[in-house]
Amino acid sequence: MRRPRLRIPYEWKSRSFWLESGQAYLYLLPAIAILAVFTFYPFFSAFRLSLFKWSVVHPPGDYVGLSNYTKIFADKWFWNAVWNTFYYVAVSVPITLFLALLIANLLNKPLKLRAFARTSFFLAYITPLVAVAMVWSWMYNWHFGLFNYILGLFGGSLVNWLMDPKLSMLTVIILSVWRFVGYQAIILLAGLQNIDKMYYDAAKVDGATGFRVWWHVTIPLLTPQIFFVFIMSMIGSFKVFTEIYVLFSGTPGPLKSAETLVYYILRKGRFDGSQLGIAAAASVFLFAVIFAFTIVQLLVTQRKVHYQ
Amino acid sequence: MLRKALVVGLVGAMLGCLVVAAEPVTIQFWHSMSSGHQPHLEALVAKFMEENPNIVVELTYQGGYGDTEDKVNASVVAGSPPTMVQLYENVITPLVEVLYPIGPHMTQLEKDDILAGLVENNTFDGVLVSVPWNKSIMILYYRSDLIDTPPTTWQEFYDMSADLTVDLDGDGIIDRYGTGLRPYNPEMYLNYVVQNGGSILNDDWSAVTIGETEGVEAMEYAESLVPYSFISSGYLSDALGAGQVAMFVDTSAGYYYNNKAAVDNGYTMAVSRVPVGPVNGKSAIQGTNLVVFDMGQTQAQKDAAVLLAKFLIRPDNTVYWSLRGGYLPVVKSAYNSQVWLDYVAEHPEAVVESEAMVDGFAQILHPNYGQMRSALGSAFEEVLLGASTAVDAVANLVVELEALLDY
Repeated sequence: MRRPRLRIPYEWKSRSFWLESGQAYLYLLPAIAILAVFTFYPFFSAFRLSLFKWSVVHPPGDYVGLSNYTKIFADKWFWNAVWNTFYYVAVSVPITLFLALLIANLLNKPLKLRAFARTSFFLAYITPLVAVAMVWSWMYNWHFGLFNYILGLFGGSLVNWLMDPKLSMLTVIILSVWRFVGYQAIILLAGLQNIDKMYYDAAKVDGATGFRVWWHVTIPLLTPQIFFVFIMSMIGSFKVFTEIYVLFSGTPGPLKSAETLVYYILRKGRFDGSQLGIAAAASVFLFAVIFAFTIVQLLVTQRKVHYQ
Repeated sequence: MLRKALVVGLVGAMLGCLVVAAEPVTIQFWHSMSSGHQPHLEALVAKFMEENPNIVVELTYQGGYGDTEDKVNASVVAGSPPTMVQLYENVITPLVEVLYPIGPHMTQLEKDDILAGLVENNTFDGVLVSVPWNKSIMILYYRSDLIDTPPTTWQEFYDMSADLTVDLDGDGIIDRYGTGLRPYNPEMYLNYVVQNGGSILNDDWSAVTIGETEGVEAMEYAESLVPYSFISSGYLSDALGAGQVAMFVDTSAGYYYNNKAAVDNGYTMAVSRVPVGPVNGKSAIQGTNLVVFDMGQTQAQKDAAVLLAKFLIRPDNTVYWSLRGGYLPVVKSAYNSQVWLDYVAEHPEAVVESEAMVDGFAQILHPNYGQMRSALGSAFEEVLLGASTAVDAVANLVVELEALLDY
C-alpha cells in the first residue's frame, strides 16, 4: 500500500519566506497581546463565568451548569430588557440612518455655511455622552424643560417625559438619534463625495434626473458606507446604556421601562449584589443576538453592496 | 555567669520586642470620600499618624461607593485587597470570611459605646466584624415658611400633605405637592414597615414576613400619599427649591443640599423626626462601615488597621467627622461631648438627627439583601407609579423574596 506523499508548499523552502513571516508575526505581537488580554480573555471568561454561581471569596464559585440561563429565561425583567433593546434597535437604527442620508445629501449641495453645518452635526457626536445626557435630562424636565416650554407655547399640555413608562424609550431614542445622526451623515457624505462624476454624467446622458439618479446611482454606489453605518450602529444600539443611566438618574427608567440588556447585565452584576454568573449568562445571550444579527446582515447585504 | 547571660538575653529579647514594635508599618485605606469630605478625612488620618509615628496610612480615593465595591471585589479575587476599606453592610456580608474582625480587639467598654442599631448591622454570627463610620438617618424636611408645626404622626402627615397640595394658579395642574416620594428609595417603604411593627424576614431568616398585615398596611399608607406626592427619580432638593414640594422624608446626609435649595430660592427649611407610625417612630440608618482585611496582610498591618478603625470612631474624632462631613456620631459618649453639645446648641437640626440616629434601625445582613433591596424598590415603585395596588405589589414581593431566602 502506497503512503500518500506529503506535499510541502514550495515557498516553505525559501529562507526569506520564514524571515518575512516571522517579522510580520513579531509586529503583530503587541496588538495580539493586547487583544488577548483585554478582549479574548474576558470574552471566554464570561462564557465560563456563566456556568458558575459567583463567589467573591472563592471565585468562580459553585459550578451550576446552565441554571443561570434557566434563571434569566424565567425572569420577567430579562424579557422586558430584551424587548426594550429590540425596540430601541428597531426604531432608532433606521430613523437615524434615514435622517443621516437626508442630511448627507443636503451637506453635499453647494450650501453657504456648509462647513459650519458639517461641524455642528458632528459636534453632537464628539461631545461626551454623559454631558449630553445630563443636558437632555434638563430639557426633558417636566416643569422647567425646554421641550415642555415649547409644547406650552403651542398650547400643549405638560408631558412627564422622564417619569411616564410609556415615553421612556422614546426619550432615549430621540436623544440617540440626535447624537448619532451627525456622525453617520459625515461618513455617508464622504461616500457621496467619493462617487465618480462619470456615473452621474452617464445617467444624465440616459435621460435620468432627480430622484431616479439618487435611487439608481447614488444609493447603490453608497451601499458600502450605508452597510458600514448600518451594521456599526446596530451593534452599538444593542449595547445602549449610558444615556439611560444618566437620563433616568442612575435608574432603568420608571418601572424599568428603559432597561436594556446591558443595563440588566450591570444591574445583576453590580447593583443587585454581584450576581456575576447571571450577568455573564445575559452577556452571552446578548453576544449571541448581536452575532446572529451581524451574520444575517452580512449574508443579506453581501449581494446588495456595490463597490465602484 | 549564667545569671549574667540570662540578664543579657532578657534585655536583648526586650530590645528585640521594642524593635519589632517600633518597626514602621504601612497600611492602605481605600475610601469613597470625594472632594468635600476628603480634606477632613486626610486631617483625621494625619492626626492618627502623628499619634502613631510608626504607622503610615496610604489613603486612596477609589471613586464612589459602587466603584470602591467593584475594586474591592476585584482585589479579593486577585488575593490582594487593601488593609482597610469603607463598605456597605450588604457588600460586607459575602466578604466576612476574609475579614479580620475588629470587635475582638476592642474592650467591652468600647463596644458598648457604639450605638445599638449600629452594633447590630456590623455583627456577623455574633462577632462585631466591622465598625460603623459615616452614618446618616432619615429625617423629615419641611418648609418652615409654610408649616408652623411639622406633622408628628402618619395621620397628621397624610392630612398635611393633602392640605398643602395646591393648584396655585387654577390651571388644573398641581403646582405644589404636600410631599415628595422617590420610587427608587426602598428605605422609605422599610421605614413605614418598621414603624408599623413589621419586618422583611423573621428573626432566623427562614420566612418572609413583609406580606403580613403590617407590611401591607405600610404599602397602603404609601399608596394613600401618592395623590399628594411629587414623584421624582432623583433627589427632591430641586423640587424643594422650585417650590414644588412642601415636605418630605429623606436622609440627613442631604441636609446641606436641601437647605441650600430652599435658602437660594427664598424659602426657609427646618427638620424634625419622621412622623411616628402606629407602633414606633424608628428610621432607617444609612451609610458605610470600616472593615479590615485578613488576606495576606501581616499581623502588624491588621493591628495597625484595627487601631485606625478604633481611632476613627473615638468620640472626639467621630464628632469632628460628623461636624464636617454632615454625618452623625456613631458612639454614645460622643453625644455627651462638649464639642457636640455646643454644636447642637447652635444647630437645632442636629438634635433631631441625633435623636433619630439613637433610635434608628439597621438593614438586615442576609447575604441576598442586595437583591432583596432591589425587589423592595421595585414593589414600592410599582405602587407609587400606579402600576400595581399595594396588596398586589406586596403579594408579588413576597414571592420574589421567598426565592431569595436560600443562600
